[in-house]
Amino acid sequence: MLGFLLRRLGDVIPTFFGVTILVFLMIHLIPSDPIQMRAGERSIDPERYAELQKEYGFDRPLVVQYFDYLGGVLQGDLGESFVTKRPVIEEFATLFPATIELSIAGILFAVIIGLPLGVIAAINRGKWLDHLTMSLSLTGYSMPIFWWALLLIMFFSTTLGWTPVSGRLSIMYYIEPTTGFMLIDTLISDEKGAFISALRHLILPTIALGTIPMAVIARMTRSSMLEVLGEEYIRVARAKGLAPMRVIMVHALRNALIPVITVIGLQVGVLFAGAILTETIFSWPGIGKWIVEALNRRDYPTIQGGILMIAFVVMGVNLLVDLMYGVINPRIRHKR
Amino acid sequence: MALLEVKNLTVEFGSEDRPFRAVDNVSYSVDRGEVLGIVGESGSGKSVSSLAVMGLIDFPGRVTADSLTFDGQDLLTMSPGKRRAITGKDIGMIFQDPMSALNPCFTVEAQIMEALKVHEGGSKKERRERTLDLLNQVGIPDPKSRMTAYPHQLSGGMSQRIVIAMAIACNPRLLIADEPTTALDVTIQAQIIDLLLKLQDDSDMALILITHDLALVSEAADRIQVMYAGQLFESGPADSIFAAPRHPYTQALLEALPERSEGHDRLRTIPGVVPGQYDRPAGCLLAPRCRYANDRCVAERPDVGAYNGRDVRCFYPLDDRGQPTGQTTGETV
Repeated sequence: MLGFLLRRLGDVIPTFFGVTILVFLMIHLIPSDPIQMRAGERSIDPERYAELQKEYGFDRPLVVQYFDYLGGVLQGDLGESFVTKRPVIEEFATLFPATIELSIAGILFAVIIGLPLGVIAAINRGKWLDHLTMSLSLTGYSMPIFWWALLLIMFFSTTLGWTPVSGRLSIMYYIEPTTGFMLIDTLISDEKGAFISALRHLILPTIALGTIPMAVIARMTRSSMLEVLGEEYIRVARAKGLAPMRVIMVHALRNALIPVITVIGLQVGVLFAGAILTETIFSWPGIGKWIVEALNRRDYPTIQGGILMIAFVVMGVNLLVDLMYGVINPRIRHKR
Repeated sequence: MALLEVKNLTVEFGSEDRPFRAVDNVSYSVDRGEVLGIVGESGSGKSVSSLAVMGLIDFPGRVTADSLTFDGQDLLTMSPGKRRAITGKDIGMIFQDPMSALNPCFTVEAQIMEALKVHEGGSKKERRERTLDLLNQVGIPDPKSRMTAYPHQLSGGMSQRIVIAMAIACNPRLLIADEPTTALDVTIQAQIIDLLLKLQDDSDMALILITHDLALVSEAADRIQVMYAGQLFESGPADSIFAAPRHPYTQALLEALPERSEGHDRLRTIPGVVPGQYDRPAGCLLAPRCRYANDRCVAERPDVGAYNGRDVRCFYPLDDRGQPTGQTTGETV
């Protein structure tokens, strides 16, 4: 198990360097630079421009800039934001819990709804329930997040008034961040009703963010279940006289979950991409919104740091998924 | 009274208006402690008929029968829950491919103990002891260490022994073995059959041995039932069927045995294949492949009739010399 872990960790290192190079180069491909952006509509005097370029280190060759940056990253220094002058890592740490909270809620929503939908569709294969769940999931999958989020807001917030339109918490409450997770912070605070408010704020972004992963998980679960249900060991389990529910939930689902877990892991990346849109629409103060703003300002260190950290988290989750395989699938656990 | 009584069992698949009969009005019975061999080529409905007995035919398959009783209880009309209490307890089944018959996610122990838990209860400790007994009984070397093994760590022969242990865990009164040795190599085949027969003998359990290996049933079975394209073609005591087949198909099957091809350059075969859903002959299903077939065989479908103490589905059952009876030369094509 330790060897397995070390091998997987070894895979992460080249990926990490790849990500730093990609992020660094892509940012420099975007037209205009931070100095021009900050100068605004007035043009900047070329002398002053050169001076600022020197100050930020943009006059050096790209390779030198890259290695300078990499050196910092390896020491845990992601640089300072051009705009706020605060360390990127610090800003990231303040905002990240909000994104994590939303992402966890989103993936939970996707799994809790998607898995049963897939199972129901599989055991009712070809019947109306199967068609219904699969067309629902196709609709969910095809729906652009920004459009879906706006529809949700229009219907549930504006028309029905059930949920708040945006933000993480009603302005009636002030909660000192302890963990950064609003649900936990409100729960341990003395403010009555704050938890409910936080929960209500979370609902729509969760649905908006979780819909696509939910659809993907439902479809994957269905096809994986169908494959497993045709296996001989399912027939053997039934020949033992087990109740249908036990055959499906214990014998079939356990095996069907193996590919589904891969998909769930891959969806984490999709989730972060989705979070950028979702956070912007719902004014959710997370890293998605933060990176979008940084992009608009060409705040290089923030963009680089943010994307690097996200890549890091995605790699971590994939590592976790790999380890989960071993738990669920004995054939992997015992392989050397 | 027979232990298992099957009367006119029919299993159909496909649409209501154009159904495909995988099993067509098959009747048989098995007595306590008896070994019944069901033989036939692939696609003859042997497996499907036994799955129907187990209640494992799923929608869209349709199972009908005049009667299907086990130990006097009607299997067709009882509730699904009650039927499940019989399947796996009183009737066990072994399948063709041991490598895919075990769930890859669970240990040997968990899979055997599950059957015990569902049907017999008892404490976990008792169940574990019983599992250890069973593994000993089916001849697993070092059973203690195998208890916690996963299926991918076992060989085919070992897996089949585990599957057998699982099927006999609750001391069934009837064991259905559906081609239990087909997927195993020859040296293991004999061991597995010996094991099945020993278990059958020790506990006086009835055994249905489904196979396409005639040599195997000749040694093992008390009675034999030959099936073809979902129909019963011939049934009777094993030795007499081997001594004098009454149905041309049985005769052809026996002639195809390598042992009986001595003095010939090539092994004898039956030309053609078992008819499927779309190429069913109008008359006798064997007619296109039968060397004795005449106009009547092509036009009409024969019923099962008694002949010399056997049930035979043929217009012209064979006599002791292996020639068709009642077929006048004038009728022959």
